[in-house]
Amino acid sequence: MESKEYAIEVENLKIRYRCLKKVSIRKSLFSPKKSKVETFEAVKGISFKVPKGEILGIIGKNGSGKSTLLRALAGIFSADEGTIDLHGHSVSLLSIGVGFQKKLSGRENILLSGILLGFTETQVREKMDEIIAFSELGDFIDLPVKTYSSGMYSKLAFSITAILETEIMLVDEVLSVGDAKFKKKSFKKMRQLISNKERTVVIVSHNSDTINRLCNSVLWIHDGLVKMQGTTQEVMPKYEEFMA
Amino acid sequence: MKRFINDSKKYWESAKFSAKSSLKSEVASSHLSWLWWILDPLLFMLVYSFIALIVFGRGEKYFAAFVFIGLSSWNFFSKTVRQSVRLVSQNSAIVSKVYLPKYVLVYTQIMINGFKMLISFVLVIGIMIIYRVPVDYNLLFVIPLFLTLGLLTFGISSIMLHFGVWVDDLFNVVNVLLKLVFYLSGIFYNIANRNIPEPYAGILLKGNPIAFVMNELRNCMIYSTTPDLVWLAVWFVAGIILSVIGVKIIYKYENSYVKVI
Repeated sequence: MESKEYAIEVENLKIRYRCLKKVSIRKSLFSPKKSKVETFEAVKGISFKVPKGEILGIIGKNGSGKSTLLRALAGIFSADEGTIDLHGHSVSLLSIGVGFQKKLSGRENILLSGILLGFTETQVREKMDEIIAFSELGDFIDLPVKTYSSGMYSKLAFSITAILETEIMLVDEVLSVGDAKFKKKSFKKMRQLISNKERTVVIVSHNSDTINRLCNSVLWIHDGLVKMQGTTQEVMPKYEEFMA
Repeated sequence: MKRFINDSKKYWESAKFSAKSSLKSEVASSHLSWLWWILDPLLFMLVYSFIALIVFGRGEKYFAAFVFIGLSSWNFFSKTVRQSVRLVSQNSAIVSKVYLPKYVLVYTQIMINGFKMLISFVLVIGIMIIYRVPVDYNLLFVIPLFLTLGLLTFGISSIMLHFGVWVDDLFNVVNVLLKLVFYLSGIFYNIANRNIPEPYAGILLKGNPIAFVMNELRNCMIYSTTPDLVWLAVWFVAGIILSVIGVKIIYKYENSYVKVI
């Protein structure tokens, strides 16, 4: 156990939302009273480690800081206190439709999105056919994205992120996309992605079923603090009991 | 500094690609499509020529080229600065999902507006050929002048990008300020020939970097005159300083932008 290689190490992480209100010149001219800066601590000191190749589920009720934590892991938020160490692994937040230009075709949007996610153009082009095949869009791929139905849109978006792989994947409730058939397929794809021993996955979900089926360990967050961490078998019954 | 170079290298492709896509998407949405990139400055040139020549009855030598150079470089500067104020909130979909150094968004805008400026300057060359404007080696000074313009635009835009996140109505303020600078910059009149008493003429011409760059662009492109090299150096260095400040602020605060929008 001691020589385990960790992919993610989080130490005493705290994230605060401060002064969520924007300043406006008009307001500060006419009411120069300083408005009180309100701080809200979403994550109140969390520490955990994720070994390489593990699939960690994060659960907790709404507003307990799950998504904030996930975004901090992806490097979008800065930590106000504490550290996040990813040991130099590439990381991506599996999120839908990053940077889509609605007037451009699906094909061009694959490139655009992929490059924004940090891949090079050649890498994306190599995977292009695979993405198009997976998205099941057929001839629609060359039509502007604005003509797509919402289901087609999310199918395309999911395919992009699912096929362009990174070493650490962060997943925020995206498994419920498209029709029943596509759902099954994307679930299978997730399984397959996850089964790669080199890949570390963090999934945030409300759905106990998803967590039970995919994850091998679970982190339970309650009001910005770790309530429990352990294997899925240990944590999930307690969580369900708590939520019931 | 090292981080800036590394990140710029890393995200350059992405900026280039977004710029290309956004230009493409602009073309896809309008019927006259790319023709507007030419028509827009051309029509405005006609408007300003009308005002200057007919209403005020005063023109400059090679007036069409004169206005066109001013207008194209002004558009590049003002559009980039104005857009940068809202850049983060407009790109919230991207910014809240992937990390990228936020000044990359400014790169994209500079590329888009720079491309449009390039088209305008092709037209300037066309006008110069029609007028048979004589040119000499001074034409080479356009390179440092454009560099200075680019640096100043990048510096000011990245600072605006930062404050645009925090200050809600900055857009209105910037709009008014840009309008003021627009009239002060001598886009359709020549500051030097206007009998403005010193020191004001000097201040207007040298103290305002946009007016300065614009004026010297005209000097070296259509009047075969060497630019004022001392002031060129001053504004070049100022552009670098502004850019460094902008990049530093952005690096320091960019991770909290998402919390605000």
